[in-house]
Amino acid sequence: MRIVIVGGGIAAVYIANTLMEQESRSEVVIVSDEEHPPYDRIHLCKLVDDCKCVDSIALELHPAVGLELNQKIISIDSKSKRIFSEHAAFHYDKLIIATGSVPKTLFNISGIENAATFRSQKDCEAIAQGIIGKNVIIVGAGPIALELLDTLMRSEGPETITLLVRKNYLYSEVISREGLELIRGIFEADPRVRIRFNDQIVDKEVSGNRITKILTKQGEIDNPFVIFGVGIDPNIAFARETLECNKGILVNERMQTSVADIYCVGEAAEQRAGGFVAGRVKECTIEADVMIANLLGDESKTFKEEVAIDGLKVGSFLFADVTGTDFNPKDPENESILISHGDRIDQYIVNHDRLKRFIGINTNIDLLALKRLIDTDSPIDAAYLYSNRLMSEKGRLVCSCEGVHEQELVDIIKENAVTSFGELKEHSKAGRTCGRCKQDICAIISATPVDPAEAARLKEERIASAQAAELAKVRARIEKYNALHPANQLSPENLEEALASFEMSKEYNRWVSMITASMHLHPTYEEPVKEAVVQLNKIPIIWLELSDCTGNSEAFIKTSHPKVDDLILKYISLDYHELLMAGSGDQSESVLESIVHNESGKYLLLVEGAVPLGLDGKFLRIGPKGETGLALLRRVAANAAAVMSVGSCAYDGGVVAAAPNPTGAVGVAEALEREDIINLPGCPTNPINIVGTLLHYIMFDEFPKLDSNNRPEWAYGFRVHDNCERRGHYDADEFVREWGDEGAKKGWCLFEMGCKGPYADLNCSLVKFNEGTSWPVQAGHGCFACGQGKIAFDSYANNRKLEEKPNE
Amino acid sequence: MSKKIIIDPITRIEGHLRIEVEIDENNVVTEAWASGQLFRGIETILKGRDPRDAGLIAQRICGVCTNVHYRASISAVEEAYGIKIPSNAEIVRNLVTLSLFIQDHIVHYYHLHSLDFVDITSALGADCKRASAEAEKWTDHPYRNSVGHLESIQEKIGGFVKAGRLGLFANGYWGHTAYRLSPEENLVHMNHYLEALRIQREISKAIAIFAGKTPHPQNLVVGGVTSIADMLNPQRLNDFMFIIKEVRDFVERAYIPDMKMIVSAYRDSIRAGEGRAVGNFMCCGGYRFGKNGVLFENGVIRGHDFESVEPFDASKITEEASRSWYENDAPLSPYEGDTTPFYTDLNDDGSLKTEGKYTWIKAPRYDGEVMEVGPLARMIMGYTKKTPTIRPYMERFMEQTGLELIDFSSTIGRNAARAIEAQICGDYLFDMMSDLIENIKYYDEETWTKYVFESLPLEGRGAGIFEVPRGVLGHFVRIEDAKIANYQAVVPTTWNASPKGAKEGRGAYEESLIGIVLADPSSPLEVLRAVHSFDPCLACAVHVIDASGRELSQYKISPLCSI
Repeated sequence: MRIVIVGGGIAAVYIANTLMEQESRSEVVIVSDEEHPPYDRIHLCKLVDDCKCVDSIALELHPAVGLELNQKIISIDSKSKRIFSEHAAFHYDKLIIATGSVPKTLFNISGIENAATFRSQKDCEAIAQGIIGKNVIIVGAGPIALELLDTLMRSEGPETITLLVRKNYLYSEVISREGLELIRGIFEADPRVRIRFNDQIVDKEVSGNRITKILTKQGEIDNPFVIFGVGIDPNIAFARETLECNKGILVNERMQTSVADIYCVGEAAEQRAGGFVAGRVKECTIEADVMIANLLGDESKTFKEEVAIDGLKVGSFLFADVTGTDFNPKDPENESILISHGDRIDQYIVNHDRLKRFIGINTNIDLLALKRLIDTDSPIDAAYLYSNRLMSEKGRLVCSCEGVHEQELVDIIKENAVTSFGELKEHSKAGRTCGRCKQDICAIISATPVDPAEAARLKEERIASAQAAELAKVRARIEKYNALHPANQLSPENLEEALASFEMSKEYNRWVSMITASMHLHPTYEEPVKEAVVQLNKIPIIWLELSDCTGNSEAFIKTSHPKVDDLILKYISLDYHELLMAGSGDQSESVLESIVHNESGKYLLLVEGAVPLGLDGKFLRIGPKGETGLALLRRVAANAAAVMSVGSCAYDGGVVAAAPNPTGAVGVAEALEREDIINLPGCPTNPINIVGTLLHYIMFDEFPKLDSNNRPEWAYGFRVHDNCERRGHYDADEFVREWGDEGAKKGWCLFEMGCKGPYADLNCSLVKFNEGTSWPVQAGHGCFACGQGKIAFDSYANNRKLEEKPNE
Repeated sequence: MSKKIIIDPITRIEGHLRIEVEIDENNVVTEAWASGQLFRGIETILKGRDPRDAGLIAQRICGVCTNVHYRASISAVEEAYGIKIPSNAEIVRNLVTLSLFIQDHIVHYYHLHSLDFVDITSALGADCKRASAEAEKWTDHPYRNSVGHLESIQEKIGGFVKAGRLGLFANGYWGHTAYRLSPEENLVHMNHYLEALRIQREISKAIAIFAGKTPHPQNLVVGGVTSIADMLNPQRLNDFMFIIKEVRDFVERAYIPDMKMIVSAYRDSIRAGEGRAVGNFMCCGGYRFGKNGVLFENGVIRGHDFESVEPFDASKITEEASRSWYENDAPLSPYEGDTTPFYTDLNDDGSLKTEGKYTWIKAPRYDGEVMEVGPLARMIMGYTKKTPTIRPYMERFMEQTGLELIDFSSTIGRNAARAIEAQICGDYLFDMMSDLIENIKYYDEETWTKYVFESLPLEGRGAGIFEVPRGVLGHFVRIEDAKIANYQAVVPTTWNASPKGAKEGRGAYEESLIGIVLADPSSPLEVLRAVHSFDPCLACAVHVIDASGRELSQYKISPLCSI
């Protein structure tokens, strides 16, 4: 499924990341009209300070999400399921509109040099460059205007700054007079700042592309730079033709628009019932969660407004706001309770003994407790608020998404010697959901004294102890295996000698590095990997061929790194392998018997091929006594330390079990009725996936993390399509339409020719075959998801697109 | 009092093969049975599917000769629909197939077969100077033959033995009296054994350049090939030729000289005809190049009668299953029989019921007779018919070794023929590459013949019959209602590993064992040698048995091989 998200803000990123977490098989693409990857609009103020650092407010985006920048969408064709920008078209299965809003202006400012809105990184550049030496006029009184004012105050640039407020309040009409005066006082402490209430622009003088004078009700301002922070309109012009709209795009409580498979969330969406339009990040993420649940088929989730915790991101004071969903500022029954002390003001707005809203300036009230009070609709009386200050012992709430308080953060920072936001990640999710408090947290991190020496020591100690624990495990494992193989004549010393005599230490090291990297281990693990390779040589390995074509053995002996794999091949104790052994008949059987009996519980069993159950298993018989494949497998598996099935046939029968399954073939796990078989499907399995899995087992004393089909995630956690070299062409709608056409010559995407890369969980596109020479997609044929087992041979092994199921 | 020896599994072959031989009091083999012990039923699985999809399933018949099944299957469907593929597609297919010939022959000789002749442990006692001189006896420019290099090889093997892990080499027949080579000769062979590991991997890369990967390539579709971008990339073409050049060098300076050495060491065995089968040879010929060139001749020779060669006629191929585990018991053409599995089991002690049915392998016959297929058949045919691509190579080898044509029909001769064939393939790959470059140079970039599947006839039948490394391979398809109604593959090992038929006459494997003297019946190295010399591929041999033989008789197979 291809999910296209239009928009480049927090909502788009949140949706994309959440989708990747919940349904990684889908392809998710963000189409944004910005030239930069998504960044956090809330922190635009930071950009005005230093507009080069757009990276610093970039949002973390899942690497598998496709990103199309500079694509302003101009129309939607819901019939062909395409959206169009001026120069490209994008196909979608599901479309999500999260375009947010565009800022309002009071007059047309296009082409005017010294007027701007405050919405994008471009706006920030214009403001930062334009305000120097100017009389800056900020029009508006809401959060955007106030945050901008706070930022500009810290800049040397402006000559004066005037906040032009049409009415007589800041932030909200319900803010107390005391609160208002407090804020005004803080701002106007800067002699350049004037806040003019009951004032508005009435006229302007323009010369060329510059405004030379602004005339307001109360006076005039020369040499101005005007910034509008007066409000926003949903950014939905491109959708009006296709979708039912009012102020925003109309959506139902499941965030579905009037057209099937198109959803809308965030500031662009308007609830059909009630007309609610999200403004805060939290509201957007709630909408997004509802939308994602529905998109993935869970229709039980519907949107409900929640109590919102918000605030102003200003440097001069702390400002917090908790608003109930049914708060009505015009309600005459509202009653304000004010508790003030110095520069701290806690304002409770109560309606019939129920708390409806809280606005706090420089407060350390426990906001989550207040949110609960509003949520539970508990009656309160004024005395309760006076006597119970709901002080938060943990300090102020820094991250309202994760509920992390300042003191908790400080503790984490100190205990873990955190010195950057990045380091905080492994200890706390704070600042990573909506991103709003990220800068705040950075400030706390830099303000928290961490003794550099102590910090370094703590850090080193922590890393060292983690590594030591890991290495201890590895060494214990190696010792264990040494103890298990007293009969083995090869000690590490003469292995080294053997290595040297093979003149292969260089390649050997290279090979170790390659394996280490392929397993996604840090380079510091190279030593343990090397030891594990040495160890591998001592673990007896039995490779049984059952109902197979020998393809996996062939791949295993043919296509590893040059030279060194034969070293591995020889030094690995691949003691029993029908294809390669020197001995035949009695000679080879005696090897098998001696391993099964003398090394019971110690040897690894690798099985290639399906297990025919029909005819009592007699479709396959092995050995002088004519043992059936099934009986042999059972006998050898019973005493094995672990059993690995190699190839798609051993996985679930593969091609041998394809319809009508003439021999009743099944995979190893099913034949043995065991759930602990490690599966390494593929047709054939890439040898690197076999050796890597063995190494992991030896290093960590356990098999690598497995997925629900018992396949190692390090090799099977990839979708071929996601990492395909032709992926760019898919995104650009460049497809091969006929064998040998121009697209085929240029290496375009093979999806239309039936490539099943989107359905294949394998790392082929990363590791390729035959020493990285090629792979089926490079050869222009496309993938048929051979590693998915028998379904590949019944449904995917063809050159046609999968027929899409209706209603999906 | 005769005694029976059972060798199962026969290792160093692909698949599950069992050989039972009977020997007399002088340890001479008097009777032999070759039995395939695995049935998978790939042809049954193919029935009812879209004909265009047959290739990807059919190639899973074998992971060793995987490309040839893929190709034969797709060619059979193309013939059924009358689709002629573009010249470029044929050339790319040939480049891949002939590369596989060389790879298969090298792997077969060095890694799967040479240990029947080469005693690793003996090489440790070799004098490196004398070994280097020894190698110069067989060619003017031996491959990597400095005394220093041979010393390092000896050291490597020494370190390996000293390290105490023989692993796969454990329990070989080391020290067996049937090993003839001197320590120096063993060392020269071991040198090449190690080099060949690298060489065969290089050829795999060459195959992957046009085929995406190997085993189980993925570059063919009905109508042509998909790897057009690689074909038009001069770097890829160059990489391919570079590898083939390197490989050809190895064949000429190592493989062929080694073969001369073996011929010399086992001359008496050759003269005695050890490993000789009935002397019926069959070839379908093929692989076009240049204007009118064809690499291999077609033809049929009976009973070593090199004077009279009949043209090959595919319609004379029949299969029977009277000694195989299928319901039809009568000694009739298998086309009329019912080939539903009818398993009569083994004896209680696990041995074959040699009086009745004993294998999953059917018995293919040409005009009612057992045939031997493979490099030996192709080289004899080419020599006899004076084919310009083959005769000069044969003559040179015969001149240098003193072999007669009849001598090739033996265990050692089979290997010599295989080595000569590898040499020929290496040379003619360059001719085919020239053809490709010529096409591209004059703007012929076509790789696929366009057709509209929905407009193709709903019914049809076709065959893809090819010379492949182990012999003649035929895939036969019948299409009804745009689906596969019947599918049959007759593969090289089915011919060579054929069981006895209803009439007199053993299969080629079986016949080749008769009269062999075992030096030590508990270590029947001589039997392994003879069987290995055919390059058995039992995964190939066993799959062919399925429940569809009857319909084969309805095929009208074109008299000459189709390419």
